[in-house]
Amino acid sequence: MPAEHRGDVSNRLRVIYTILTVVFVGVLAISPIRDHYAQWKQYQKKYVKLASARANSKALMGDFQGGINQIWLPKLKVTDRCTTCHLGISEPSLLAESVPQPFRAHQMIPHPPEAWGCVVCHRGQGLATNVQEAHDTTVAWERPILPVRYIQASCGVCHKNNLPETPKLDRGRELLVKYNCEGCHHLQGIQGPAMLGPDLSNIGAEVTRAWIYKWLKQPRTVLDKSGNVVTDGYEMNPRMPQFRFKKGEIRDLSAYLSSLKSPLKESSKIDPRVAADWPNQSAMLSYGEFRFRQMFCTDCHSLAVVRAGMTELIGGDIGPELTKIGSKVNRDWLISWLRDPQAYLPHAVMPRYTWSDKDLYAVSQYMLSELTDPDLLSDVPKLGPATASEIKNGRLLFVAKGCRSCHFIRGVPAQKDFGPDLTDEGGKTLSELFFAQAKIPHTLIAYIRAKITDPVSVNPAARMPQFHFDSADMDAITTALLSMTGTPTNPGLASLIVPARHPKFDPAGKFGKLFNRYKCFDCHMFNGFGATLAPNLSYEGSRSRRQWLIDFLKDPVTLRPTLTIRMPQFNMSEKDAETIADYLDMVMQSPQVDFSTVNAKDFTPAMASLGKQLYEVKYECQSCHTIGASGGYVGPALTNVGNWMNAAWIEAWLKDPQKLVPDTIEPHREFTDKEITALTAYLVTLRQRGKAGDGGAGR
Amino acid sequence: MRRGNIKVEYRRMVFRNSIIIVLLTLVGIGSSACRKKVARAANDPLNQAYATEPNWNDPDKVIPLNYQETQGQRVFYQYCVWCHADSSPAGPSNRANLTPSPALMNDGAKLNGLSDEYLRNIITLGGSAMGKSPMMPAFGKTLSQQEIRAVIAFTRAIADPPYKRPARAGSQYSAR
Repeated sequence: MPAEHRGDVSNRLRVIYTILTVVFVGVLAISPIRDHYAQWKQYQKKYVKLASARANSKALMGDFQGGINQIWLPKLKVTDRCTTCHLGISEPSLLAESVPQPFRAHQMIPHPPEAWGCVVCHRGQGLATNVQEAHDTTVAWERPILPVRYIQASCGVCHKNNLPETPKLDRGRELLVKYNCEGCHHLQGIQGPAMLGPDLSNIGAEVTRAWIYKWLKQPRTVLDKSGNVVTDGYEMNPRMPQFRFKKGEIRDLSAYLSSLKSPLKESSKIDPRVAADWPNQSAMLSYGEFRFRQMFCTDCHSLAVVRAGMTELIGGDIGPELTKIGSKVNRDWLISWLRDPQAYLPHAVMPRYTWSDKDLYAVSQYMLSELTDPDLLSDVPKLGPATASEIKNGRLLFVAKGCRSCHFIRGVPAQKDFGPDLTDEGGKTLSELFFAQAKIPHTLIAYIRAKITDPVSVNPAARMPQFHFDSADMDAITTALLSMTGTPTNPGLASLIVPARHPKFDPAGKFGKLFNRYKCFDCHMFNGFGATLAPNLSYEGSRSRRQWLIDFLKDPVTLRPTLTIRMPQFNMSEKDAETIADYLDMVMQSPQVDFSTVNAKDFTPAMASLGKQLYEVKYECQSCHTIGASGGYVGPALTNVGNWMNAAWIEAWLKDPQKLVPDTIEPHREFTDKEITALTAYLVTLRQRGKAGDGGAGR
Repeated sequence: MRRGNIKVEYRRMVFRNSIIIVLLTLVGIGSSACRKKVARAANDPLNQAYATEPNWNDPDKVIPLNYQETQGQRVFYQYCVWCHADSSPAGPSNRANLTPSPALMNDGAKLNGLSDEYLRNIITLGGSAMGKSPMMPAFGKTLSQQEIRAVIAFTRAIADPPYKRPARAGSQYSAR
């Protein structure tokens, strides 16, 4: 290369390299500049501004630490950097809703974030330091933040038992049991006894083929706001979902089911003289209605009534709705069922009442002729007798549609795993879900909701029938399903799981027989087993005097005047009542009540009159309790409390009611010992029938 | 001539390569800088609610409740509803039985003017201690202070007309 040209080359190269150097320096600078303007740094600057403008800025700034913050809990495998931006999370003074996010303090919860981290409950990506990666689904992270609406699901991941703090989760679990979702799906943490549908082994003896046709076609009645029938079905809120049947399938199924018929075990015969005894039909029917009410059938069964122009269901939902029962069941079946429900259906929860023929006749006549809907079967086509091929097809359909998951039929084998396993549904990632053509947001929550609202919207071939839930129940079920995240992969959490408790109370002997006959556990709680519809009887023997129990069981008086749900009259014999009272008296005792410390004989009239004064003036107990005709409706009537309760129980109750019945409404008052004795002395003088009790030893 | 060719080719090569490097770097940085923006879910207040309570005067409207208010809701429906609402879970309310008539728990006109501290005292100590009707029992031994605060928070949440918290530092909800 000639010397004169050498300078040209190096000059040009120099220019190029200078430009390149500037470009490279610029390129290299992008990263620190981006870092300087990182989201979290911006948030920290904003926080400093916010903190220094507040009254307690010194304290806030003292707690502030710049840079990436994290909650690191090696035992729980938690490394959450959420506190890098959520800087006020543990600052009580920043709790108000006027504090902008992400700086607001966390609500006071049993598991504070410092000790548990954030992601354990809220999901999301704890290691991320920018808003989107931490909260949303990204290519690398498919566990987005759980909206607070469903946050109770996270409590349920560890707490398999119900908690007072998680009403939505508890309701969701209750619904999963009520609708027997376990019939088809495996679920996590639902160990309660399944609520099966009725056994259909003998269904042809109970209902007609036309009724079965109607029921399969449309079990549900829907009314609009002005009370017009929009969908004409049988019940207003049936547990039975609606299936999608093809043409002819209902015909086949109804043929098969109506062919399942064997003679009734219990007698359906009623002495013809009983019917002849009534002077006229209407007197008999009104007596039937009177007894129907007195036996409190509506504790468990509901009736649709029109109140102020609105149709509503009143009554319980343990048994089926009875509004149109007269248009459903066969007379002979009804009588034999009422005589002994368990003879027809061994697992029936209906108690066995003691019936006189007179009552049985009048009550069944009332149900069959007054609780009817003459138009119920008007849209059912003429079906005729079932043919052999219809019956054969119907049996195949019964299996193919999954009916066997809820309904038992003798000789039809059970199916296992009819629906998909849902034990880890609530923890699934997006790539594990199949959305097909569904036009819904691609999130786990939208997927679960769409599956429950309309199963075919996600999977056109879905076998799952159509359920109907209102929006609150929808939230509850979604929450319960979201809590089912399978076996925790995090060993730190696995050891913390609180299993559900299912206490069993299964007395044997004479009492055991009566306990199961009258189904006391349908309404009452016994040492954690049973239901909460009626008072907890775990300590009934400490509370009530034996003679009072016997009288009450034979003829339940109303202790709480306004309750719509009351103890039914079972028409119990003296002997049965004595057996039950003896058992309660001997076994259902509280260690808190010591009969030897209270002697009712020591009570003087002066003490009683002081007690009366305290009751009426100082504490105004009449605001909640009734004596005679006046007083409040909150607590039980005390008119006959002297015959009803043991003095030792009254004393222990006044000292600390929650110690005897943990969630009782009666507040724990600050009575002095003298006041307690005086109030007890007064209360034991309140006697209605002047019977029962010797007054000694507090009993 | 040959030398000149080499020189020109060398120059071209350097130029081409540096352009490619610069472009590649820019493309690389540019692509990492362009984050895909995902539309965040519409901010439905019910999505951020721990639980809800229907507006007592208009059941179609739903009031979102936070954690504390939800705990208050539970306490309210266990202990207070019997006298401080017009219907109760068991049917009719005891409110009509009582004189003076207890305040409805959502009565903003009556309760909004009372401070949290006053409400806390009357619940803890009872009516007679505060110069009110002795029919209101003291709940200080039945409920924890945390539960009483929660009930007050619930009352504030369902108040109609709505409750506005007085602007004052150091709210009682520090609760810690």
